[in-house]
Amino acid sequence: MKLLGLIVKSARRSKRRTALTVMSVAVAVFLFASLRAILDGFNAAAAASSSTRIITIRSTSLIFAMPSSHTQTIRSIPGVRDITWANWFGGIYKDPNNFFAQFAIDAESYLRLYPEIELSASEREAFFADRTGAIVGDGLAQRFGFKVGDRIVLQVGIPTYGSQDFTFTIRGIYRAGAAAVDNQSMFFHWKYADERSIEAGQIGWFVVEIANPDAAAQVSAAIDQKFSNTPYETKTDTEQQFASSFVSMFGNLNVLLGSIGLAIVLTTLFVAGNTMAMSVRERTTEIAVMRTLGFPARAIFLFIAGEGLLISIVGGLLGAGLAWAIVDGQNFGVSGGFVPPFGVTGRNVLIGVALSALIGVLAGAVPATMASRLKIVDALRRVA
Amino acid sequence: MALIELRDVTKAYRRDAIEIPVLERVTLSVSEGDFLGLMGPSGSGKSTLLNLLAGIDRPSSGSIVIGGTDISGLSEGALAGWRARHIGFIFQLYNLIPVLTAFENVELPLLLTSLSKKQRRDHVMTALDIVGLGDRTKHYPRQLSGGQEQRVAIARAIVTDPTLLLADEPTGDLDAKSAAEVLVLLRRLNSEFKKTIIMVTHDPHAAERATHVVHLEKGTLAESMEVT
Repeated sequence: MKLLGLIVKSARRSKRRTALTVMSVAVAVFLFASLRAILDGFNAAAAASSSTRIITIRSTSLIFAMPSSHTQTIRSIPGVRDITWANWFGGIYKDPNNFFAQFAIDAESYLRLYPEIELSASEREAFFADRTGAIVGDGLAQRFGFKVGDRIVLQVGIPTYGSQDFTFTIRGIYRAGAAAVDNQSMFFHWKYADERSIEAGQIGWFVVEIANPDAAAQVSAAIDQKFSNTPYETKTDTEQQFASSFVSMFGNLNVLLGSIGLAIVLTTLFVAGNTMAMSVRERTTEIAVMRTLGFPARAIFLFIAGEGLLISIVGGLLGAGLAWAIVDGQNFGVSGGFVPPFGVTGRNVLIGVALSALIGVLAGAVPATMASRLKIVDALRRVA
Repeated sequence: MALIELRDVTKAYRRDAIEIPVLERVTLSVSEGDFLGLMGPSGSGKSTLLNLLAGIDRPSSGSIVIGGTDISGLSEGALAGWRARHIGFIFQLYNLIPVLTAFENVELPLLLTSLSKKQRRDHVMTALDIVGLGDRTKHYPRQLSGGQEQRVAIARAIVTDPTLLLADEPTGDLDAKSAAEVLVLLRRLNSEFKKTIIMVTHDPHAAERATHVVHLEKGTLAESMEVT
């Protein structure tokens, strides 16, 4: 404790330099925690996927549609218990910057297969009864101030749906009961979109419920087999694989974001290490004086290393705190509807602070060792 | 009985392949309560001798026994502990820690002891009162004059009540008035508080304050004398 007071006073010696070092660590931890949050968001979606749901898309790409006649064919395949479907709508709410995911769904079957979309019974009933009705996630409702009964207008974003604006009435605000569903999306009736579509009866993807999770591979193969050598060949995966492949559309995020995070941390380590080394060089005489007074090498090591650790942890707390405050589901919830909103978790905060402590220890270790091994008479530069 | 016994102490520094002798077979003994002035021209080895006595440098050969302890045989860790208990060092350039107040600078050596905060405070105030700076506790070094800084440094040196006070040109960076005050203070510490003091100085006027004076010339005692 006695040493802590000395460390604090010493860290305040050059306030500007200490502040800049704190800021560099804070920025590094902020970026690290934010990148971790993005990765966690993607990984959580895959991890929370249902083992009884498989997804069928066009073999060429998710962006190409299939005929609705596939529904009956898939339903007839052994092992299939239920089926629903959805289309990506891509509408614009007032301004393209207000992006959020909108899905045209077969309401009853979709909500049946996705119990994670939690709605009250009255809201569910009201949604089913209104052809232009829609439900929105509570995160999205909070973002735009949507309330039940509000009418919202979406401009058409994909030419398939014509050029006339779509008007919806919000009939319910759902909560996401699991990470497989986000709370930033909007769902409305597939029929409403289909009746104004240039090419009717087109479906983006099917969600198939299977009776036995262990048979997912066989059922998937059977579905794809049914449509092989047709104009609309399919590719069926488990929901987890589908979520993962969606993520892979962005490239290998783990490697990409991990590399960026590592580069940031290493750069900060060098900056902090250099700062500590400069600080020790400037204090060579003081350290020699402390040694002369009887401070053992171990105390000098702790004194210097402790200062590096203190500066780094303060930066870490600042960066992690900022990330926790700024990178939340509301501000960074635009995830395309396939993954839950990104948000810095308590775990990310802890990892960020631990990382800052590691930076502090590593950055301070070399200068602290140099200081503790200082030859007193050389440092005092007094050879008479 | 002598407090300090140096026997055949030799010190040489190595610069690349060249060995530079600084002290050669110095034998000296100093009694408890002495105030010894150590004089000599630049390069004569007086500061090196002081450093050896302080335990911040080691002799190439010979023995240094202080208070019955042969410090030339102590490990680095043991030597640091020994310094904390037995040595008070006064530097020419004061060497106060700029981010600490006068009080905190004087308290610094006490952080190595097991004294309570209150006990440390009492010790610090006593030391600052002795040097006449009891009213400057919250001043930082930059807010003090050179003479005041040196008096704070003296308070830091005496706060642990060390066996031996070592002063390396304590008046070398001071004006005449401040130098005189510091010398009066050192004399008082010797006469009133019975502190054993060894002071390196160039200044014959400063040396006059000592009870004994030893001259060094080219690493040897010009006049090998035993002070008793």
